[in-house]
Amino acid sequence: MLEIHPSYPALASLVEKYPAHRGSLFQTYNDILLAQQWRDVQVIDLGDCRRGALRGKRPKTATDPESLLDVIPCSLAESITLAWYRQLYLAVVSDDSSIVYYKLSPGIVKPSI
Amino acid sequence: MKGRIPIRIANKRAYIWDVDDLDKIRSEHHICGLLVGTLPHLSQQNVFLGLPAQLTPEEATLLVEKEYAVFVDDNNAYPEPSLSQFQQWNAEQKRYIEHQRAALESENVKSSEVAQLAVSEEAVRKRKERELKRQQKALELRRLQEGEGDCAVDAILSEPIPTPSADVQASLSNLRPTTSSAPAQYNICIAASSSSLEWYSPESCSYSTIDAARTAGIWDFPSNLQDRARYGVFKDLWEQGYFLGGAIRFGGDYLVYPGDPLRYHSHFCATVIESLTHTIRPMEIVAHGRLGTATKKTHLFCGWDDEKKTVSYVSIEWAGFG
Repeated sequence: MLEIHPSYPALASLVEKYPAHRGSLFQTYNDILLAQQWRDVQVIDLGDCRRGALRGKRPKTATDPESLLDVIPCSLAESITLAWYRQLYLAVVSDDSSIVYYKLSPGIVKPSI
Repeated sequence: MKGRIPIRIANKRAYIWDVDDLDKIRSEHHICGLLVGTLPHLSQQNVFLGLPAQLTPEEATLLVEKEYAVFVDDNNAYPEPSLSQFQQWNAEQKRYIEHQRAALESENVKSSEVAQLAVSEEAVRKRKERELKRQQKALELRRLQEGEGDCAVDAILSEPIPTPSADVQASLSNLRPTTSSAPAQYNICIAASSSSLEWYSPESCSYSTIDAARTAGIWDFPSNLQDRARYGVFKDLWEQGYFLGGAIRFGGDYLVYPGDPLRYHSHFCATVIESLTHTIRPMEIVAHGRLGTATKKTHLFCGWDDEKKTVSYVSIEWAGFG
């Protein structure tokens, strides 16, 4: 049924390559594009992690709207590594379609408040 | 091992008993410890905490490794005193008792001066009036009781009430200066810190390295990968100048302060990850990240590499959207 969804064309290749992560990728893509209203959203292939990810810019109203940010979707049921070497956003998708986003940065980064 | 702070070990726990040592540890080595001394008759209170200070295994290990401190196996540092040492101690006790006796005697002289005032005419007159009133009241009460026929009270009141003025005069005369009436009472002084005793010898049971202490069987941290990871993260953060505290209140391993905890709130709550290949559940990231953001802290996941002996950090924060 995924095939008839308007978002399918953008995700098709990654959904087929990494079937285990297709649920979280699909949910996150729609949320980022349509609900969070990010701009210039691309779908990228993280070969070394064997999963797909998203890259884009936050809406113009956000602080620092021109920076290109990476979002990696994952499911609550997974186990993931913490060996990330760049700043990224982790999108945690749960069975009831809730998504929470957490920012992961390498090193000791002071709270932004 | 001159100048090194003695960390006294009991049951593989590290204690600091000297307040100057604790001051040095905090101000020069930015390690805080935790005061665990309480009031003996109210041990559940936690408002007045005092010495000793307990150091966590990481804190104690670091101080010894950096050669700021040595472990002292206090349990074995008290051999039997020699005869001359004991005689000297005994002589000092006797001197102290004599000193107390002399002080007490000079006090007796003073108190009799106070008693002189009580013998003044005014005081005597007032005392007589008070006693008269008391006698009259007692008599009235007795009459009432007789009317009601209460035998017990009768019995008490039938005893003759002694004339107090005569008694007062007698006791006052006793207070006049005498020489040999000092009672044979004295206090025995027990030194708060036994390490001030002459025969205390920590040299034979001081250990300046972790390995030496481990061989002697008094210390065993770190003993496994988990310990090594915790210690590695602690040391790495300490070497960057941070103050570290316990983080059980925030569900982490350490709270990381930019300065003395008395002056600053912590910026970070650190969780130790035993190895870089260790995987975690996303729920942990959500839980730690959420609590951190709610308390204005960043949560640090600290991954320990047991091969290279290095730490890599990942800071977790709520994204602010979604």
